[in-house]
Amino acid sequence: MANNELNIPLSVIGKAFPIKDAREKVTGTLKYAIDCQVPGMAYGKILRSPHAHARITKIDSSQAEALPGVLGVVTYNDAPDLDWEAHWFNYKGHILDDHVRFVGDEVAAVAAVDEEIAKEAVKLIKVDYEILPSVFDPQEALKDDAPQVRAEGNAREPAICSWGNVDKGLEASDIVVESSMNFESQHYAPIGRNACVAEWTADRVTMWTSTQTPSECRDAIAMGMGMPLSKVRIIGMPSGSSIGLWWTNNFMLVTVLLAKKICRPVKIELDQEECFATVKRRHIEQPKGRLGCSSDGKITAIDIEHIFDNGGYGVKPDPGYLCADLWGNSLNGRFVCKGVSTNLVTASCMRGVGDVTIGTFLNRLLDLAAIKLDMNPLEFYLKNHLKKGEILQQLHTALAHEYETPPECEDRWPQIFHLSSEALHECLIKGAKRFNWKEKFKGWGKPLAVSGSKRRAVGVGIGTHCCGTEDDAGPTSAIVRVHSDGSVSLSCSMGRHGQGSETTQSQIAAEVLGILPDQIDVEAGDTEVCPWSHGSVASTSAYRTGFATKGASMDARSQILEIAARHYIKGKPEQLDIKNGVIYHKKHPDQKISLAELMSQPQPDTLTRPSIIGRPIHRMPPTITFARQFAAHFVEVEVDIETGQIKLLDYLLTQDSGTVLNPKVLENQVTGGAIQGAGFALIESMVFDEQTGKVLNPNFLDYKVFRAPDFPIQPEILFCESNDPVGPYGCKGAGESPIAASLPAISQAVYNAIGVWLDVPMTPQRVLHALGKI
Amino acid sequence: MITLMVNNKEYQLEIEPHETLVDVLQKRLGLMGVRMSCGQGECGACTILLDNKPALSCMMLACQAEGKEILTIEGLGTYDDLHPIQESFIEEHGFQCGFCTPGVIMTTKSLLETKPKSNASEIAMSLSGHICRCGAYPKIIKSVQNAAKKLEKNHG
Repeated sequence: MANNELNIPLSVIGKAFPIKDAREKVTGTLKYAIDCQVPGMAYGKILRSPHAHARITKIDSSQAEALPGVLGVVTYNDAPDLDWEAHWFNYKGHILDDHVRFVGDEVAAVAAVDEEIAKEAVKLIKVDYEILPSVFDPQEALKDDAPQVRAEGNAREPAICSWGNVDKGLEASDIVVESSMNFESQHYAPIGRNACVAEWTADRVTMWTSTQTPSECRDAIAMGMGMPLSKVRIIGMPSGSSIGLWWTNNFMLVTVLLAKKICRPVKIELDQEECFATVKRRHIEQPKGRLGCSSDGKITAIDIEHIFDNGGYGVKPDPGYLCADLWGNSLNGRFVCKGVSTNLVTASCMRGVGDVTIGTFLNRLLDLAAIKLDMNPLEFYLKNHLKKGEILQQLHTALAHEYETPPECEDRWPQIFHLSSEALHECLIKGAKRFNWKEKFKGWGKPLAVSGSKRRAVGVGIGTHCCGTEDDAGPTSAIVRVHSDGSVSLSCSMGRHGQGSETTQSQIAAEVLGILPDQIDVEAGDTEVCPWSHGSVASTSAYRTGFATKGASMDARSQILEIAARHYIKGKPEQLDIKNGVIYHKKHPDQKISLAELMSQPQPDTLTRPSIIGRPIHRMPPTITFARQFAAHFVEVEVDIETGQIKLLDYLLTQDSGTVLNPKVLENQVTGGAIQGAGFALIESMVFDEQTGKVLNPNFLDYKVFRAPDFPIQPEILFCESNDPVGPYGCKGAGESPIAASLPAISQAVYNAIGVWLDVPMTPQRVLHALGKI
Repeated sequence: MITLMVNNKEYQLEIEPHETLVDVLQKRLGLMGVRMSCGQGECGACTILLDNKPALSCMMLACQAEGKEILTIEGLGTYDDLHPIQESFIEEHGFQCGFCTPGVIMTTKSLLETKPKSNASEIAMSLSGHICRCGAYPKIIKSVQNAAKKLEKNHG
């Protein structure tokens, strides 16, 4: 297996170890931030704006402060005049200011001895607002005379990426298709809520919260409060299903402010409505565009204009669209993205950001072209998808000025802006065979079977995403420490939201160190212990965190072998190996010492036990420039043309995440993505009040998600393992391509069943409307 | 003053009449494995067994549970001494984030006692009161099937 510098058979990679915190999860003993208690803790509650857009002209908190049990109130007068920013333009704003931008925006907060008093006190704060005109529709918000949500204006500078010559390319195409789509906003719909506890000790602050991004959270607090990074500590706790929601959220910074004001630890716990309506959501997105093709089915030009809303505090210029490179054989491309501020709750990265929406739209353009050419979608995709070694056109155009390969890394890095590995082709071919696509696909718009009012048909869709990405914040890192009994601590700031990353990271470290994952404990949340990391975002963990974990483990291993060769085994370090916790000479295996013994013995030259601390020694390559994960999904649906109901009858997932680190962890990741994607495809959407932008369905009663009977009970999964040259042991990211593959697959299957293309979610109402029945 | 039987232990508690069962279990008895998420009876995270039947502890008052046997995840098995259903969920990876897990396991216990031979569709239907936002349903269903086998073996 390539990328296995140790050249020994893999012993723990690829095995389905139970996840590390499994016992805590099944016994209910795992602690999330909502369970967190700190001695002397007060309870905070946030006063939220009833208006979509207003300026606060006066706040009087005297009555609230006078309520027995109230310990303090914070308003914008207490907040530093500083913006804090989340990664990748997901949030920018003051902790509190005199300008509220959506219904539910933070206005002030109260701390009290208990939550009930805090709730009462919040109602006693008197606020005078100057109501400002508001705007909710992204197209409206782009107009010159639209109310301006942010000081820097509503429209972000258009993000334009173009290569070749699209206009000429389209002109020269044998066929051109054109379409547009509207995506409503999907919500993370978190199970489990979130909370945070902030405590000041002298001039230092410690925060316990559930987060995917402990490092970002620390940086944000330092930025928003104007303090050194060294004085902020985040103790990241596990979260309920997060899928992008629990990064750094402003309620956490409000808690910090409140705790500083009252000089006591404060806990703010969000209720369900706050989780749904005041934190963030997926963007509302409106792509339109054209695609040109030659008569033999080769894509020649793609031209996309994509408008999406950022809500009140997002400032993204584009949502990312790595899917553009999926069809990178296109000679000519133009992508114009326009991010627009609105008076809706902030929009932000959610699982598969950009690739779910623009990817689905691109799949649709491809399908329209394939229909015109009367080509089987499978054949069309196989002909056009990006292959290993081919150039990533869009990314190269966008980022060529930022990255180049340093000479010393040339033999270490893959060629940048060229796809490093790919088994999508295999996914499509093996998946089609297994799914019996040839038999089941009856032609475009033709059902596989008709029975009464029910039409059955199949569809196939493709999804992609990055495997982590870089920005100027720093490289994801990891530290490995070997203790005096041979047990190991691995520290990497990933956060814990359930995917099993601690387990897969421990498998990587165990493989390098020749021990079992059980002997490795993983700290993923404490910024005092963990070096900086992006966290579990952008499908970073397996690939980039894994790269760091492997590097740190290799470093620790070298130190161990060096000590062994110096004191205990005759030979050079490179002649030694570690297996099952025993260091031995590869040629003379009877010369050996156990790791535990080596670590527990004072060394002759220092008279102390060894101190082994491993850190990644190799520079991490810019992975966005070459690494991609892929998913291809095959689905059979049944559409009832009388009721408009769509059922998923059969589902096959194929996945290229490179080498499989832990098959059961990966199976959960990919089906989870498919199920959330299917939810978005069929039932999930946020409803906003037309007059106020208020979220009207901020709960599971009104915002429906998939339950166990809604998805095929045992979908089949095929892993096609490309062997990535950079990913640890050849693995790649996994979490975000599956959600991007499910929407186009289902959408295409519905078209084949009833002959119409629908926007998502494809509700019964939309189906019946499209069929002219209502 | 009410008397609650929780996990085979009797508790005498002075509570407010409006206190929900989930609040009393969590805040008075420290049973944090009873998860509270939606508070509206929609997500199933707070499911406990009341006289061996699944009940949503966020949707009932604590005083309504008087005279009934309450079983929470803490009464099923412990970290070092797991119940076979808990073992099955570990073996099959029947969760990701784990927030819904205690509730799902309680419903599973009741299901496997009343209908031990449930097929996969019946299992899925019987778990339809639970939201697993991670979407681990296929493995949850496998975990239940695995548990059914283990329990049958134990009884047989």
